[in-house]
Amino acid sequence: MKVLTANRLTDGEVVFWRGGHWVERFADAEIFAADDPAGQGAEAVALGQPTVVVEPYLIDIAEGPAGVAPVSYRERIRALGPTNEPEHGKQAEGGAAIEALLAATGAARSTGRVDLIRRK
Amino acid sequence: MYRYDSIDKAIVEDRAQEFRGQVSRRLTGEITEDQFKQMRLMNGLYLQLHAYMLRVAIPYGSLNSRQLRRLAHIARTFDKGYGHFTTRQNMQFHWIKLAQAPDILDSLAEVDLHAIQTSGNCIRNVTADPYAGATAEEVDDPRVWSEVLRQWSTLHPEFSFLPRKFKFAVTAAEHDRAAIRVHDIGLILHRNDEGELGFEVAVGGGQGRTPYLAPTIRQHLPAGSLLSYSQAILRVYNRHGRRDNKFKARIKILVAALGAEEFARQVEAEWARIVAEQPDADLPAIELARIRGAFTPMNFETLPPRSAAFDAAKAGDRAFARFVRNNVKVHKQAGYAVVEISLKAIGATPGDISAEQMDAVADLGERYSLDDIRVTHEQNVVLPHVKLDDVPALYAALEAAGLASANIGLISDIIACPGLDYCALANARAIPIAQSIAQHFADQDRAELIGELKIKISGCINACGHHHVGHIGILGVDKKGEEFYQLSLGGSGAEDASLASILGPALPANRVPEAVDQIVERYLALRQGEERFLDTFRRVGMAPFKEAVYAEAH
Repeated sequence: MKVLTANRLTDGEVVFWRGGHWVERFADAEIFAADDPAGQGAEAVALGQPTVVVEPYLIDIAEGPAGVAPVSYRERIRALGPTNEPEHGKQAEGGAAIEALLAATGAARSTGRVDLIRRK
Repeated sequence: MYRYDSIDKAIVEDRAQEFRGQVSRRLTGEITEDQFKQMRLMNGLYLQLHAYMLRVAIPYGSLNSRQLRRLAHIARTFDKGYGHFTTRQNMQFHWIKLAQAPDILDSLAEVDLHAIQTSGNCIRNVTADPYAGATAEEVDDPRVWSEVLRQWSTLHPEFSFLPRKFKFAVTAAEHDRAAIRVHDIGLILHRNDEGELGFEVAVGGGQGRTPYLAPTIRQHLPAGSLLSYSQAILRVYNRHGRRDNKFKARIKILVAALGAEEFARQVEAEWARIVAEQPDADLPAIELARIRGAFTPMNFETLPPRSAAFDAAKAGDRAFARFVRNNVKVHKQAGYAVVEISLKAIGATPGDISAEQMDAVADLGERYSLDDIRVTHEQNVVLPHVKLDDVPALYAALEAAGLASANIGLISDIIACPGLDYCALANARAIPIAQSIAQHFADQDRAELIGELKIKISGCINACGHHHVGHIGILGVDKKGEEFYQLSLGGSGAEDASLASILGPALPANRVPEAVDQIVERYLALRQGEERFLDTFRRVGMAPFKEAVYAEAH
């Protein structure tokens, strides 16, 4: 499974793709099957939005103990906020969706990030 | 302290205005991200994991109370109420919005601050000994020469697009508090046998993926030739630096490839050409005098060397006595002290300071330290000119502000970069490792028993956390997507500079405090006399420590 993410141009906020627009919560992101070309399609659209977002890329997600979460801890930190300041970033909102991200423990490199670096 | 003249002010204001236009064009799509990135980086603006980060230059780590209050204002108004001091004496704000960045630069310009050249392949903020003007060790004030370099290097047309970033550090004391040997150019002010002021010039130091200690290429450069000689060094680097390979583009690679002797020969030849062809390459005496005038010795009072109030407080308050032992240093003027303020409270993020604490330090600097405040490369703050009589009251005020941690130079005074909690380049987190080690060694008596032990942590190979020169260096690595930490021992960024050597295989995060504890216990068992950890390590070598940490694995 994959999710499309980027940073919003105006403020750098981490955002996720959902049906043609961008949302701030990972829990609201649109999930693409790994082999679904719609994910690449959304990424292509996002690349054509340079005044909206910076560096869009697809990330791998997986079912965790409490719900889906990014596979790489780097992407989990992006979806939550800094671990040294639990009141900063998206995690401050709390709730089940945040708990699901906090409960995830899987580890892998951010393939999306690696792809982005390759693209550069 | 140097005050901006009309030219300095115009440069900073113009630059802020220019950047406002660039941001506007980026937001409307007139310029692409690739085009804009070069412009924002030259103004210290990065895009990090959660937001934009703005790095504000603090020239040679020197601030007045008005400037620190303005940084507090920016933290409160444009960030989440705090700032982060870096290992290059700068301040970073981690939650900046692009659309507000021009307003921040305007606000900084009002108090003679800016973010120019805090990123990009140019000459970065010049760093210096934070005890400048306060220590009896120094032969001259390094801030004078740092300011000369600042003015010369600001928007220098020939050196704005170097093969890679370029960092100067300056000291005038024997005790190196500026990590001179791990800078592109490290300058050590001294007097030669004839009593003439000059610089020992070290070139080609640095950390990152290929660490080097800077070799000395000239033992005595007459002080007045600083700019022409720097120009020669930069010119040789600009000519031969590896622009084809980012990872081999720093001057340290060039110096290592040519050898220090050949590099020095080329610099000397270039310098001779500059001196012959460009008679105005060095600063005119009148301009040097103008800059020096900004750093005239403070109006210190004539005081006895001992203070009854200070001695009484020390005798009557154990916590204050501990603060004095660790955070209060000798001043050149009788009756005064240098006071270090630790930003390493147990469990805190190294280098972070809240807006309220910034205001408190600004007030205390104004009241007790002749309005002079310094930032150290070890991510702490210094009030350089405090009367001994005032230290007890200062300590009480610091305690009230949560800034009285008595751990300067001890095991919990840890350098850590922002790591993967904030930085887009990082492979692993650094801050939580620092926090867990500090918590493990929270017992102050034990920390003092251990003595000087400098732990430095980086979240990636770029080494912003100076792990190569940590007595214990810790590097975060990504092992198949998991955070692991590689420990190194025996580094030093001080006058006895050395690069740390890798202890063994990387460890998972939860093993790190225990491993540090095993190293410390082995050191305490092996220590002879007054040896610091580093002294013991240098005497006995790596083997006993390796055995202490990895014995179970065999």
